[in-house]
This record gives sequence, structure tokens and C-alpha cells, in this order.
Amino acid sequence: MSAGLRPEAAIVGLFLALALGACAEGPKIHNERMLAFGTVVELSIYTADTELARAAGEAVRQDLDYMHRAWHGWEPGPMGRTNQLLATGGEFSANPSILPLILEGQRLEEESKGLFNPALGGLFALWGFHADERAPAPPPADTDIRALLDQRPSMTDIQVRGIRIHSTNPAVQLDMGGYAKGYGVDRAMERLMDLGVEHAILNAGGDLRAIGQPGQRPWRIGIRHPDGEGVLASLELRGDESVYTSGDYEREFSHEGVRYHHILDPRTGQPARESRSVTVIADNGAQADASATALFVAGPQGFAEIAAAMGITQAMLVDRQGIVHMTPTMALRIHFEHQPQPQVRIVEPPR
Amino acid sequence: MRAPATLGDGLVILCAGVLVVFSYMQFWTGAPDGPASEVRIVAGGDEFARLPLDQSRWLDVPGPAGITRVEVAEGAARCAESPGTQGICQRAGWLRKPGDMAVSIPNRVLIEILGKTDPTFDSLNY
Repeated sequence: MSAGLRPEAAIVGLFLALALGACAEGPKIHNERMLAFGTVVELSIYTADTELARAAGEAVRQDLDYMHRAWHGWEPGPMGRTNQLLATGGEFSANPSILPLILEGQRLEEESKGLFNPALGGLFALWGFHADERAPAPPPADTDIRALLDQRPSMTDIQVRGIRIHSTNPAVQLDMGGYAKGYGVDRAMERLMDLGVEHAILNAGGDLRAIGQPGQRPWRIGIRHPDGEGVLASLELRGDESVYTSGDYEREFSHEGVRYHHILDPRTGQPARESRSVTVIADNGAQADASATALFVAGPQGFAEIAAAMGITQAMLVDRQGIVHMTPTMALRIHFEHQPQPQVRIVEPPR
Repeated sequence: MRAPATLGDGLVILCAGVLVVFSYMQFWTGAPDGPASEVRIVAGGDEFARLPLDQSRWLDVPGPAGITRVEVAEGAARCAESPGTQGICQRAGWLRKPGDMAVSIPNRVLIEILGKTDPTFDSLNY
């Protein structure tokens, strides 16, 4: 009698293998929320390795927490100490974690033609937007704002010689809130990649970077409508890209019936009023973060000029009438989700 | 007289077994892929508690600014009291759906409902 495999046994074996396959964990998206940089950070990792997802989440949380404490301009730490020393006018050795941010800030202020100015920390403090939660108070007096702006604090007032720096303007107070989060998201994503993560989204309150893709499809990102909680538009991301949105709804307060938000125009010291939100796609988090702020301040009138000056080819601005202004490259990627669809104006940045 | 079981009978039983195993894996393996059944509370950087939504209770969560009080009742959870000056945590109201959350930034407390969230988008830019 033959000892070969009977057909029934082969079929039973096949089904058992299928049953075991159903039990095995394939790759899936692991989501985690955490608090860092004064906001909710959402991390999504696509992997079959649950332990990798857990360890990566913990590493990101620790990194962002450290960066937030180190770069907060108003709390004890390297940035707080730097502000104290800059105010003295004396020369000192810059903290190694701060110097790259200062150099980046100088470049971004110049590229944005002064619409993004991290040396105006004093202005944010006047408005109370420097704290994690603003204490109830009226807006600052115009005379106080004018007195500060008349001193013209600028990143160019910080003289850098190697690692030695000093300020020639006592009104300079650094507040890196406009781009430190983007810079931090980039560093945290590098850490994830070092750990072996290949497909992930890191979203720190609107500062989002995505790498890879979840399986055979792209990452799908919704962009919030500035009027409410709904989604205005969506876009798809593959590979390695950053999407940053700045809106007038993020931090705000009302006083005597007037709403005030946290995106301040360095020229007037007041909240910029021509924009509701700006979304930028770029491959550098700090650049995208600062550009979104500068384009918001520029408003529809200066949108094309500032986008070109900052090297941004993919940007979208919702103005105060709800009209959407987009660069041609951005228009190719945006899919509107909101009905009725907004009026759209395509804006070609000057070459 | 009862006929002996055939190969076809065996295959039917086996298929049923596979279906049961698959259904269990797909639908019964719990949070975060199941229906909204738990609330997760994070204090600072650590998970402080994970509570079932079907058991009413109050929970005091300590943070750097004071105590955040969380209420669980009737399949939902809310931030009932928190030391922030603007009441942002409380304004989130009752949290019922997976993905709903309330946050106290000054007290570093995050309250979120676990479960499968809206599959339309992988992340929201806001």
C-alpha cells in the first residue's frame, strides 16, 4: 500500500493553514495620542510589529517632551536662559540645542521679508499667547504695542560668531513657537526612522509629517474647515512630505465682543485679519511651519510674493470671505470635501 | 440507518470552524479596533486609567495645575472639572464616539474614547 498523502488530508491541511493565517497579525495602523509642545500629538504607525509601534511611540513622546521644555522661551530651560542672556547684551556661548534654531530663525525672517519674526517674543507675551493657556485679560494697550515695535526687535540683532552670540537690541526676546514645533516634528520623525519605522504620520496639532504609506494606498489627510470642526478639503500623501496648517481658531479669546487670535502681524502688532487659515506642503517642517504663519500674515494680497520668496510651491489660503487662494501645484492635489465648494482663485507665484 | 460522514461533510465543518476563528479575530479582539467601550485617561506622559464606559464612576486625575475630575456615565465620559482658566477641557462635553477627546493642556490630562475611528482620513490637519 502506498504511503503517499491522501487528497483528504491535503485539503484538511490547507484549511488548517488558512485558519492559522486568519489568526496571524498582519500589518495595521497603530494610533497613539499624547500631549507634547502644548498640544495633542497624534502618531500613526503602519507595521506588523506591535512592540516597535509601542517603543517608537514612547521614544517620540520623550523626545517631544524634551524639545518642548528646552525650547520654551518663557520657562526655565535653555531657551529661557538664552532670553535672559540676550537681554543683557553681553556675549555668551549658545546652548547647542538653541543655536541651530537661532540660525534657522534668522534665515526664515529674511526669506519672509519680516512677516515671520521669532524675535518678537515680547509681543506674544504682551498678548498673553506665550503661556500654554492664556489668562483672562483684555488685549494689550496700543501704546504698549507701539513702544515695543518702535524698538524693531529682529533676528538680525543677534550677532553670531561661531558658538558665541550676543544681542544688540534689548527688546529681542525669542519665541520659537512659530517653527520649533515643525523643527521638532522633523527631529522626532528622524528618530522614528532610526528605530526602523517606515510608514508613519506624526501630527502635532496641525504640524504633520508623513513617511511611506499604509499598504498599497496613500495616506489620506483631511484639512479642517476654519469655520468649524468639519473637513474643508483632503489630500493624499506618499513618500515623505510635511503638511502644515495655521488657522485663526487655534488660540483665541474674545473681549467686549471682539475676537482676537494668536497669529500676530509683526508690522502692526495686531492679529492678522485677512486670512482664516493657510495650509502649506513642503519637505522641511520648520520651513513649512514658518511659511504657513508668514503667508497667513501676508494675506491674499501678499500670498504669491511671500510664497515665492520662501520657496513654497504648494500652498492654500482661505481668506476672510471664505475664498480659497491656491498655487497651481496645490490645486492639483486638493480635493474639496465641503459642500458648497468654496470659490477658488489660482495664484501663480512670480518667478 | 445513518450514512457515514463524507469528505464533503468534513469540509463544511472545517469551513465553519475557519469562519468562527476569522469572525472572532475580526470582531471580538477588543479596543482599539472594537466599538466604543473604554475611555483612556493620560496624565503627563503616562496612561493613568482605562475605564469601561458601562460602569458609572468619578475619577480624580492629578496634574501639575491641580485635579481634573472625570465622570463616566451611561456609555460616555466627560471632563467635569479641570483647573484651566478657560474651561476648554469641560467644553468638549460628553465623549461618546471613538476618537472623541477632551484635553487639559495646563494640567497635562488627555481623555479619549477608544475604538475604531473614522476610516475616511488617517489624520486631520487643523
